[in-house]
Amino acid sequence: MENTTYLAADAKLPYCRGCGHALVVRQLSRALEGLALPSRSLVLTTDIGCVGLADSLFPYVHTVHTTHGRSTAMAIGMALANAVLPASGLKPIVMIGDGGAMIGLLHLVHAAQLNVDITVLVHNNFLFGMTGGQHSAFTPLDWSTSTTPEGNRVPPLDLLALLRAAHAGFLARQFATDGDLNAVIADAIAYPGFSLVEILEICTGYGGLKNKSKGAALREVADSQGYSIGRTEAERPRPTFAQLYRIDIESKAAPLLIKEGSGVVDLRVDDAAHHPLPPPPAEEGSQPQGREESRPASLQHAASANSRLEIRDSKPLHIVIAGTAGERVQSSAALLCRAALSAGLYATQKNDNPVTQGSGFSLSEICLSPQPIQYTGMESADAVIAVSQDGWNELKANGTLAALASGTLLIIDSEIEIDSPTGRLLRQPFRRDATPKRAALAAIGFWLGNEPVVPNAAWDSVLDSLSIERRADVSEALRIGANFARQGDARAA
Amino acid sequence: MVAEGALAAGCHFFAGYPITPASEIYEVMVRELPGRGGLALSAPDEISSLCYCVGASLRGLKAMTATSGPGWALMIETVQYALMSETPVVIALVQRLGPSTGGATQGAQGDIFLAEFCTSGGYTVPVFAPSNAAECYELTRQAFNWSERLRTPVVLLSDKEVGMTTEIIDEAALAKAANVERTWGDAGAPVAAYDIERVEDVPCFGPAGGEVKVTVTGSAHDRQGRLRKPSPEVVELLAHLQRKIEAHAADMAMVRSDLDPEASCLLVSYGITARAARQAVGMLRKEGFPISFLQIQTLFPVPTEALHRAAAGIRTVFVAEENLTGQYRAVLAPLLNGRRLLGINKIGSMISPTEIVRAIRRAGGTIPRCDWPGEHPSEAEVREPPRPWKAGV
Repeated sequence: MENTTYLAADAKLPYCRGCGHALVVRQLSRALEGLALPSRSLVLTTDIGCVGLADSLFPYVHTVHTTHGRSTAMAIGMALANAVLPASGLKPIVMIGDGGAMIGLLHLVHAAQLNVDITVLVHNNFLFGMTGGQHSAFTPLDWSTSTTPEGNRVPPLDLLALLRAAHAGFLARQFATDGDLNAVIADAIAYPGFSLVEILEICTGYGGLKNKSKGAALREVADSQGYSIGRTEAERPRPTFAQLYRIDIESKAAPLLIKEGSGVVDLRVDDAAHHPLPPPPAEEGSQPQGREESRPASLQHAASANSRLEIRDSKPLHIVIAGTAGERVQSSAALLCRAALSAGLYATQKNDNPVTQGSGFSLSEICLSPQPIQYTGMESADAVIAVSQDGWNELKANGTLAALASGTLLIIDSEIEIDSPTGRLLRQPFRRDATPKRAALAAIGFWLGNEPVVPNAAWDSVLDSLSIERRADVSEALRIGANFARQGDARAA
Repeated sequence: MVAEGALAAGCHFFAGYPITPASEIYEVMVRELPGRGGLALSAPDEISSLCYCVGASLRGLKAMTATSGPGWALMIETVQYALMSETPVVIALVQRLGPSTGGATQGAQGDIFLAEFCTSGGYTVPVFAPSNAAECYELTRQAFNWSERLRTPVVLLSDKEVGMTTEIIDEAALAKAANVERTWGDAGAPVAAYDIERVEDVPCFGPAGGEVKVTVTGSAHDRQGRLRKPSPEVVELLAHLQRKIEAHAADMAMVRSDLDPEASCLLVSYGITARAARQAVGMLRKEGFPISFLQIQTLFPVPTEALHRAAAGIRTVFVAEENLTGQYRAVLAPLLNGRRLLGINKIGSMISPTEIVRAIRRAGGTIPRCDWPGEHPSEAEVREPPRPWKAGV
């Protein structure tokens, strides 16, 4: 037999004589008796203030006594858990005062929007009783309180009107003295979604002494504030957030894969790709026969190609790629990092862009190293790639260009207007020939054609991981870049 | 990797509010949790985020949120509630440049004090500081384990440079600590509240909604969870919140030490700066400069044993951190009595290995000296502690 005991039979209510809280506590218990809900399927979540003393009166119901105003928020968390817990069905009943309603107003609004299955009982006695009768956001106009000695000049909040705008499904306003309050509370608790009952009552300690509020006068107070008494209920209850969430989960197939360029390290990379280091891929006749077996493929490749740019064990290689937001600068840089990973290198990538992410420059700082990378910053870049004017301007503004050593490789799109850069300047029409969105990848292809740090074969696994469309796109961009490099070599020859 | 660590740790609830540089954790959790039987959602502010997590944790779900300094400032009320009510929850705090809105896209290590000293009463909040992606994974798992085991909030303190730098890691080499679950109470018990035998014990957990009546509170309470004015029992329970952390401090201590028995100089660092520091140590040793290095991962409770071991025979201790006033140095100062304690500090960008090397050299390095180098505004400053020190001590 389920336990359906609520208010302790011998409960000594800790409230002042005549306080509305005592009436509400009894009516809540009557409401629960009517519903006959198992007491362990309920959690009373109480706020700060006299209302927060209700916990100990309900010895069989779960109770969570919270901080001021947060009782609604904690109840939301408890109700949300219903969406994923196998044994669902905990119903939070939140007991707050008018102070808690205002300081936790955001939580009430969000609870209504989410339509979480909680019931909130707002004990509105028009002021802060526990702390000495100070004015609250619900104090009627002209009321005298300890902090409005000349009378309240600030109109009180119509909580129900506000929550109606937040799509609350069940709202009611009652007097604590209403004989049918238990029925209204029961309906609120039974309502499948967010429900709130604002209960108008008197703080006998502070409210009633200075203001006319006893008996029929309380109704006058409500009338004078334009408060409607009674309930409003949505014609067709919306599904709760938990219900919608369950539907979403069930309609979901396998967990989504981590998206390319999302800034998340892909853990699903084949371990063999870098530990232990793979044998170097066969490159069209360019590999020497006698290799140092202990060196990463890329290093052998770089050394074999007699590159001017070599990754030495002690010094990581820093590359900066700069362009315009929306032109795939950062995702292209991420592909380079993944190719480097396939080649047995460690890589880090840091992105930068203006505060508004979709305009202005876009920049990636990459570090490649055969050793695990410690410090991820760079004192000066070993190679700079700029594929748009925005990118170039940012390189000037952020000090990258000023910090360059003489002889640093600068790969700059032909369209960019530049002034006296220091370094080894190579210019190609990446934007024109590859399109602006593929310019960064074309420039990477061109760079690798000049400085073969990452062998072509290392791109295979990267390309394999892409969609067919994107794969074609990436291959084409890299090919355009590599062609530029070959043409350059041919000219040089 | 924080998100990956959380998922591996069994996190089933995440509530977030967007803030650079922590938003990626939020996005990954929203993407990954539904497919793994968990729930992730957007909260309307950071106060709500953490409250939702605490609510879910009260139901028995492992819960986490992620934020940066401005959001953390809003969460402090609820961190204290979690501490007082003994509700496990993990907060990933990805630091950015402060104060106030500060610099959203600049890293910093300026929230050490704010993260740790956030409670009325000054209770120890465990704070773990990863320095790279792999440690983000490993320490997040540890954060969950300790949060669950001790029923207390744990902060995972990284920064923009740790959190938003994509790097290649070796998945096989990641330390995969076994998951620890909170100790659940006996289903036949009359109540689940704060009943303990010894002051350092952790009370058994009962979920709100379970068969056993649960009484949870953030107010001073007795063993039954009843709100009470301070009595010996209430005071003992308040002490218990601290004692349970202290009793496990040694087990919680995580450091990576690289000590040189010949060294008279010790470099201490944590988080992002530990990476530059490690590199600086390599550079100094290459020059024949004996130096010991201690990377502290468990910032709080302070790993005193490891610190004393590292500082044995050491004359000068440097603490490198990316803040202006040497926050962690101030924490270590009372523990390094008699040693020369110097800070290497800078804000605005990462401290580089070269800057650390230069700072140590200029300060006399392993040979204590009286003369003091002038300030150099463009690089990491070496700062003295406020108290006077004698040369040769």
